[in-house]
Amino acid sequence: MNLRLRAASYSAVFAFALLFAFPSSVAGQDWKPVDPSHLAMKAPTVEPDADAEAILWEVIVNSEDIDVVLSHYIRIKIFTPRGKENEGTVEIPYLGSIRIKDIAARTIKPDGSIIEMKKDAVFDKTLVKAGGLKIKAKSFALPSVEPGVIVEYRWKEFRRVSFYMRFQLQRDIPVQVVKYYIKPYPSFQYGMRLACFNGVTVPLQKEKNGFVSATVNNVTAFREEPRMPPEDQVRRWMLIFYAEDRNIDPKRFWNEHGKRVYDTFKPLMKVNDEIRRASAEAIGEASAPEQKLERLFNYCRAKIKNVSDDASGVSQEEREKMKKNNNPSDTLKRGMGTWADINLLFASLAQAAGFDPHLAMLGDRSDTFFDPNFPDDYFLQTFNVAIRVGEGWRFFDPGTPYVQFGMLRWQEEGNHALISDPKEPTFVMTPLSPPEKSMEKCTAKLRLSEDGTLEGDVRIEYTGHLAVQHKEINDEDSPQQREQTLLDAIKRRMATAEISDIRIENVTDPVKPFVYQFHIRVPDYAQKTGKRLFLQPAFFQKGEGPLFPTSERKHSIYFHYPWKEEDEVLIELPKGFTLDNADAPGPFNVNQVGAYNVKLHSINDGQALRLQRSFFFGGGGSILFPSQSYASLKKVFDTLHERDSHTITLRQTASNQ
Amino acid sequence: MIIKENASLRLLALILCLTLTGLWRSTEATPAAEDAPPWLRQAAGMSAPAQSKYVPAIALLREQSIRVEEDGRVTTVERGAVKVLTNEGRGEASARMHYLTDTGKVRNFQAWIIRPSGEVKKFGKDEVLDLAVPNDVYNEVRIKAVFAGREADNGTIFGYEWTVEDRSVFTQFDWEFQDQLPTLLSRFTLALPQGWRAEGVTFNRSAVEPAINGSSYMWELRDLPFIEEEPSAPAVTNIAPRLAVSYFSATGKPGPAATFDSWSAVSRWLTSLSDSQATLDDALASKARQLTANAKTEMERIHAIGRFAQSINYVSIQTGVGRGGGYRPHAATEVFAKAYGDCKDKANLMRAMLRAVGITSYLVCIYSGDPAYVREEWPSPQQFNHCIIAIKVSDETEAATIVKHPSIGRLLIFDPTDDMTPVGDLPDHEQGSFALIIAGDQGALMRMPVTPAEMNRLDREAEATLSADGSIVVKLRENSSGQSAVEERRAFRGLAKPDYIKVVERWITRGVTGASITKVEPVDKMDEGRFALDVEFTASRYGQLMQGRLLVFKPALVSRHESIFLTERVRRHDVVLEPYSYSEQVKVKLPDGFAVDETPDPVKVESGFGAYSTVYEVKDGQLHFRRNLIVRGGRIPANQYAVVRGFFEKMRAAEQSPVVLMKK
Repeated sequence: MNLRLRAASYSAVFAFALLFAFPSSVAGQDWKPVDPSHLAMKAPTVEPDADAEAILWEVIVNSEDIDVVLSHYIRIKIFTPRGKENEGTVEIPYLGSIRIKDIAARTIKPDGSIIEMKKDAVFDKTLVKAGGLKIKAKSFALPSVEPGVIVEYRWKEFRRVSFYMRFQLQRDIPVQVVKYYIKPYPSFQYGMRLACFNGVTVPLQKEKNGFVSATVNNVTAFREEPRMPPEDQVRRWMLIFYAEDRNIDPKRFWNEHGKRVYDTFKPLMKVNDEIRRASAEAIGEASAPEQKLERLFNYCRAKIKNVSDDASGVSQEEREKMKKNNNPSDTLKRGMGTWADINLLFASLAQAAGFDPHLAMLGDRSDTFFDPNFPDDYFLQTFNVAIRVGEGWRFFDPGTPYVQFGMLRWQEEGNHALISDPKEPTFVMTPLSPPEKSMEKCTAKLRLSEDGTLEGDVRIEYTGHLAVQHKEINDEDSPQQREQTLLDAIKRRMATAEISDIRIENVTDPVKPFVYQFHIRVPDYAQKTGKRLFLQPAFFQKGEGPLFPTSERKHSIYFHYPWKEEDEVLIELPKGFTLDNADAPGPFNVNQVGAYNVKLHSINDGQALRLQRSFFFGGGGSILFPSQSYASLKKVFDTLHERDSHTITLRQTASNQ
Repeated sequence: MIIKENASLRLLALILCLTLTGLWRSTEATPAAEDAPPWLRQAAGMSAPAQSKYVPAIALLREQSIRVEEDGRVTTVERGAVKVLTNEGRGEASARMHYLTDTGKVRNFQAWIIRPSGEVKKFGKDEVLDLAVPNDVYNEVRIKAVFAGREADNGTIFGYEWTVEDRSVFTQFDWEFQDQLPTLLSRFTLALPQGWRAEGVTFNRSAVEPAINGSSYMWELRDLPFIEEEPSAPAVTNIAPRLAVSYFSATGKPGPAATFDSWSAVSRWLTSLSDSQATLDDALASKARQLTANAKTEMERIHAIGRFAQSINYVSIQTGVGRGGGYRPHAATEVFAKAYGDCKDKANLMRAMLRAVGITSYLVCIYSGDPAYVREEWPSPQQFNHCIIAIKVSDETEAATIVKHPSIGRLLIFDPTDDMTPVGDLPDHEQGSFALIIAGDQGALMRMPVTPAEMNRLDREAEATLSADGSIVVKLRENSSGQSAVEERRAFRGLAKPDYIKVVERWITRGVTGASITKVEPVDKMDEGRFALDVEFTASRYGQLMQGRLLVFKPALVSRHESIFLTERVRRHDVVLEPYSYSEQVKVKLPDGFAVDETPDPVKVESGFGAYSTVYEVKDGQLHFRRNLIVRGGRIPANQYAVVRGFFEKMRAAEQSPVVLMKK
């Protein structure tokens, strides 16, 4: 598994803390008056059927000196026993220099009577302590919580001021009013800016004492859905940050940033005699630019052990002894480097071969979808190497294991890339590999017995992103575990399946397709009645459920990359049975986005059946669909499922009855 | 009650996050110049027999030594050594211990790895995690742990040693000779003051006799085989050998802590901790009377109060654990005022409220999660992790969960913590377990009731209309009772309504592609122990039309909810089955112009543990399909595995069988 974790991991810890650290109140302020209508509320107003609803979620962000004080206040109405369970206890985790103070909580019954939480009901506990680091938490249970009550609590959080702070606007319960009061940090040389994501931009209102406020009303609960875009791309949140010029033109910003990146990385791609020699050795007799680059790419993969890859065969002992590579020459000499070292070595070798490599900064589609109109490099966290070949830019990432030459990680394909340059940095879209690049190619040669058992040999081959995915799932596992993973996947579809003679090939090979080969026996694959056998010829789809089983959809639908499936299934039929029908399900097209084709042939004088099936999806780069098109998309995949489930009938011949 | 549990996912996520970011490894690893202690070197040198390729790691040594002082101080030293055999075994390169912040002192916690090259790395203090017990609002029990998996390449030996001092409230210990891993040497040593004695009981195998040297006892087992995971198998704690030890001070001298030579003694001790906590004040008594004001029978009064106890929020705050606090409920009046508490608080609150309406009841200690965990031959409070209630009932009250106590009489067993299981039923993971009725001298260990398969029942009725083009319209109603209803209720209450509807949609569309669900109406009849679900749906191509003349469809429209996957050919352990029953009646109105050409053969499978049957009948243009299943439950010996497997395979095959209609 390639661990490409950088600063984002750190911020994940903070985001976690902040998510919990949200309800609030003005410093020193008492409880807010309770609206009698809230006491009398019998049902939620933002979302029907909600178990609880936040009436108010308020955070006051007061920046002073080196500290920022966040005063949190939340008031929640409980409607159901599940709401009671979920909202009845509170844990506020925090870490580092953050301090939590002045916690108060109470429960207000529908008749207006109030039960205050006692001070000693707040527990201070250390969740994790290790190596001088502590993750602590304040925890408490609210008294007398039951459906119908309002619970409210508040606390203050003291933390160091930060250039970037993420604030959530959506919780796992609906919220009537989310309100942030923010006092910009007075001593920064840069102005405070606010960016809202995944919802309408929240206007800032001027308030007293140097505060501004941002208010959002009627925010629905956030719920995950399968195949949705990354959470930060759909959940409502805002970023408060301090930047040089609050009105900077994005074009100008990126121009300057691209130059800075170029200046920073240029020395790290330095060419010396060793690099020149290695470049010449790698290229050999190759003359075409494409061929040269491919050889350099493969050279980096072959010669340098990738320590960012846990499955690279580098032992922990070697990792610990490894010294930092200061330049490509170090990487070459040591034969070991991080993914970044390997990419920089590739750039250096390419430079030695007469190419003009540029570092390309990219966002990560598994985190958010990068928008160049946002003039800040906060979301531009990773890089690969861009080289102009002919008229266009080509992108290379030899530092990521398993990614084929000519492709990038799926997270970086179809993405904006800022190509650094000393004069004219520019944004270019990285290509999105077409479906044919990520193939699932399945073949099976099987024999059906008259009792319905299907048995034979199977081969499944994955290329492109599908290969990367399978290699990453398997590369750290033992051979036994890899077999178990396969077995589990097969049994999920066909519970009675028995598999043997398993061969799993190219699991850690950087280039070759990932391959499964095995022998399979599936009792009761075909269903037998008195005189017929019913057989699903689409063997590789047997037992699969529909991709989109539910009718409602809130978020967009997102496929990580386009892919294609090609199956060839040969089934020898049992003696004493003839094909009663062998009609094939019809093909269908989804404009240029996808297509399904099936051919079903009776061969060898009706003694066998051949199925040829193909399906692709994501053509034309269509991998993101708005929620409004869910019904159409669901219909496509329901149709696919229905056609794959197509059954043919074998009839017992008279002599066999 | 103190629950022995592992770190929750939430906390693990945090740790993982820290691990990945490298935050907790504040110092660079400093290998070399370290050495492993002699005992670890010795363990590393043990020759291990060849293992199956599926064994992830082998425990070379598993050892605990306890020294008891006359004043009650207890010093425990534990050592372990594990050799990692495969990548999946890396997780075994870890050590953890529970300790009490109130009374306990961790004297040392050390770990080492010996790499295949022979190099030794010692894990420094910075690499020892100190963790809170997850899910509790507060708990004095904490966990120290080292996770060395990321550094444990195959062939690495991981060893650890920890020492903790404490003052136990008990004079008893238990020791698991192994977990799942094969174990070369497992040893438990107890050193007592002169003149003291110890007695051991062995579970899951023949008795292990100790080697005795003066007042020191040592129990030892070698070469324990790997315990392979299998579906529907007994828990590892019911397969791996376990030891329970009680010790006693010199005759005539009082011991430092509670000793138990009988279950009555355990009952007396627990009674002394809990009896005074069943406090009652005017507010609580008045609440009890108010709740039962309209109740006409004893059972209705119990229902009303049971429902209230279940509605109290479950909140676990564990303090004073080292002084028996884990067994002492908070005062009932206090719990009532805050409206939250843990299992013993809820049971105790209910006990006080029942007393207010004239009903006698007793707290009951039980082990939640494995009905076979508690053993009669070792009287000890340490066998329990949960608290429920036994209510003395008159002859007028009938329920499947009543047991007869030899002197107290009829007792209705109820779990006020499980808010899915009503009075009259008991969670399946508690049924059949030994549990202790806490009733002073009258206290007794009793077998908890097992509800019959017929009580844990799901009945499904479906009416469908199939059209000539294969489309279908279905009205489906499910009625469940007992633990089957609990499963349904848990799914319903555990999710927000939109998410519950999605679960139902997934279930339906798994059997009926492209189904459009038009109605999902769950009705939870908790007090009756029932749950009903009405679903209506349509599907445009349920039946497959072949060559315009055959119409083929499966009358088993939707799948059963539960699945037992016994598909492996070889079985090592017994099969454990829960008792339940199921029936389904499907009526399919057939399309005009079609006649039934073939129906599947009826199936009838019977065995000692269950029965399954299917029947197909065509009447008045309708296909009637009925299936019935009863699983009586119990533990089936591994040598009868083929029969069990065959039973479920026949059942699965029958459910896939289609009906063929022919155009007239």
